[in-house]
Amino acid sequence: MKLIDIIKDANVNLLRNKLRSFLTILAIFIGSFSIISTSAIQAGVNDFIDSQVDSYGGDGYLAIVSKDSFDALEGLQGAMGGGGGLIEYNPDKIQTGMSPVTEEQIEKLKKIDGIDADSIVEEKTLSISYVTSEKTDKKYLITAEALPPGNIKVDLVTGKQLDLRADEYQILLEEKYADALGYSNKDAIGKKIQLIVVDEYTHQEKTFDAKIVGIIAPGVVSMGYQYTNNKLADDIYDENTKYYPEEVKSQTFAVAANYDFEKYSSDDIKKELEEIGLSAMTIEDIIGTIKTFFDVILTVFKIFGLIALLAAAIGIINTLFMSVQERTREIGLDKALGMSSAKVFFSFTIEAISLGFWGSVFGIIVSMVIGNAANAAFHAEGGFLEAFPTFNLATYTIPDMISVTILIMAIAFLSGTLPARRAAHKNPIDALRYE
Amino acid sequence: MSKRPLLSTRNLHKVYGKRDTRFEALKGIDLDIYEGESVAIIGKSGSGKSTLMHLLALLDKPSQGTIKLNGKNTSKLHTSKLNELRNREFGFVFQSFFMNSNDSVLNNVILPLKINGIGFRERRRRAMEALRVVELADKAKNKANDLSGGQKQRVCIARAIVNNPKIIFADEPTGNLDSATGERIEKLLFGLNKKKGITLIIVTHDEELASKCNRQIHIADGQIINDSGSKSINAEDFDGDGDNDGMRDHNTTKRIDVEED
Repeated sequence: MKLIDIIKDANVNLLRNKLRSFLTILAIFIGSFSIISTSAIQAGVNDFIDSQVDSYGGDGYLAIVSKDSFDALEGLQGAMGGGGGLIEYNPDKIQTGMSPVTEEQIEKLKKIDGIDADSIVEEKTLSISYVTSEKTDKKYLITAEALPPGNIKVDLVTGKQLDLRADEYQILLEEKYADALGYSNKDAIGKKIQLIVVDEYTHQEKTFDAKIVGIIAPGVVSMGYQYTNNKLADDIYDENTKYYPEEVKSQTFAVAANYDFEKYSSDDIKKELEEIGLSAMTIEDIIGTIKTFFDVILTVFKIFGLIALLAAAIGIINTLFMSVQERTREIGLDKALGMSSAKVFFSFTIEAISLGFWGSVFGIIVSMVIGNAANAAFHAEGGFLEAFPTFNLATYTIPDMISVTILIMAIAFLSGTLPARRAAHKNPIDALRYE
Repeated sequence: MSKRPLLSTRNLHKVYGKRDTRFEALKGIDLDIYEGESVAIIGKSGSGKSTLMHLLALLDKPSQGTIKLNGKNTSKLHTSKLNELRNREFGFVFQSFFMNSNDSVLNNVILPLKINGIGFRERRRRAMEALRVVELADKAKNKANDLSGGQKQRVCIARAIVNNPKIIFADEPTGNLDSATGERIEKLLFGLNKKKGITLIIVTHDEELASKCNRQIHIADGQIINDSGSKSINAEDFDGDGDNDGMRDHNTTKRIDVEED
């Protein structure tokens, strides 16, 4: 008997008992639906986080501070009820505030294997008093920083990435700033806005005309920062620190660098840094906690889906046992006419696999319809994702769909083996006598 | 007779159950059946006639003794070879039809060819041919359930001949039918025997049907009590070119091919 005939017959047999098959498929559908929906949400969240990670820095990005600063931050976190425990006061150490990264440490950092010396940048905290434009009389507070080095792609709604080495002043703005400054997304590109720094002592204002090159997609990682190119950042910093003594001016508290993540593990690099008194965080360290949180929740949902599938598997077993019972004479005839036990076994397991296949396909289709409708609804005005146009809550990927379908078909096959074995072992004579 | 028997049994025993429930259905059957014969196996219910047919049809294995098909011992054959033999060389007609009543007439006739793995077009063509033989070609698309008893049995005969079998096993083929329709079925079966030379083995308790066969074997208590013996069969009766109507065209070179492996 040909495989195509076995598959056809299996589906014809399913149609013979429409209600029974439908109910069994419905049970599988529930499992399929919950698993594919969970996968879609997981993919959506991960996509979003990944795009956010890209906007913060690539895989090789390291945020480096001195070890003392790091400990102080952790201590502060502990005191505020965060993860770490409380830290005891130690008069020999600066523990209350940030301590700078020294020139000497930077020189050592450059020599560490795996660190890209050219990528090392001292992070400068910019102090901008307000932002305004020709289109408005209003003045708004703004926080901005130079985009860290490396091949970083900020998640943009429109426009293009910064040219870090450009000789003009460039800035990437969030949509809300563009709006407030009188520009809608598209015609904001190429327009100039005014960043004003007010001197603390003389109250003199200095204006920087910055060109908007792109609009940043709302996200969680940028945390309200606008990004500038190096020239703009350097000039604002010089203005901020023009009265500072030289040694303070050159002081730096945070350094960004890239390491060769393909060759070196982040743990090895961190150990090396620790030896010269520096602490580093990778993008995974920063983002990891968010991801773990989502993963735990979604895994719980996936387990629920699997439990539903387990119940569905019992449904398949039950359905097929009934089917074997009903078709005893038919099986007897098939075997008398020369069908092998193996083929009888296959015809029933393929029936089970078909049940699984249809259940999972319907689950995926319904989940996609609901998921896409939900995406649209959440992004509509007043939806809770209105502020995050690049965040699709449910993202359906082909590998996810295929693996869910295969998983369910495998479960269905395993449940089908029990009744199929009974059918295969039937003796044709007994089966033909069966009334 | 110099000719080798088509089916040959020696000292055939079949025992069901063990110890207290032990029941010997067949107690040493020696039987030779030749190609082209029409054999009636007659006996009361419980005589062992059905058991004998099941063994001859290779549906069951004997507890003791041998069954030779075309001179080859079948007890040494692998199950898959037995399945293939039943599928290619035998046709079955049962008292209670055994049809998939929800399926079409055509699909019921196709079944042996489908099991054999024959392609869609070819098996459809051959099934239609078989339906023409039983004069039911016009009912091919009907649901099997909608047919009368006599028509159902004719469909079963079409199913039995669709694979051009050497032997048709018929278990009380007219048992469920009134005498007029029963007669039509008998005519069909004996016609196939005479025109196409298909060996006919009919299990029945109906003496009248049995008397129409050219050989009667009476069975009681698992033993042959009377065998009318095989009469000489003139090969020209069934092998003449004039009678060939296409159903057995390719069978002039086809032999029952039993390999001992």
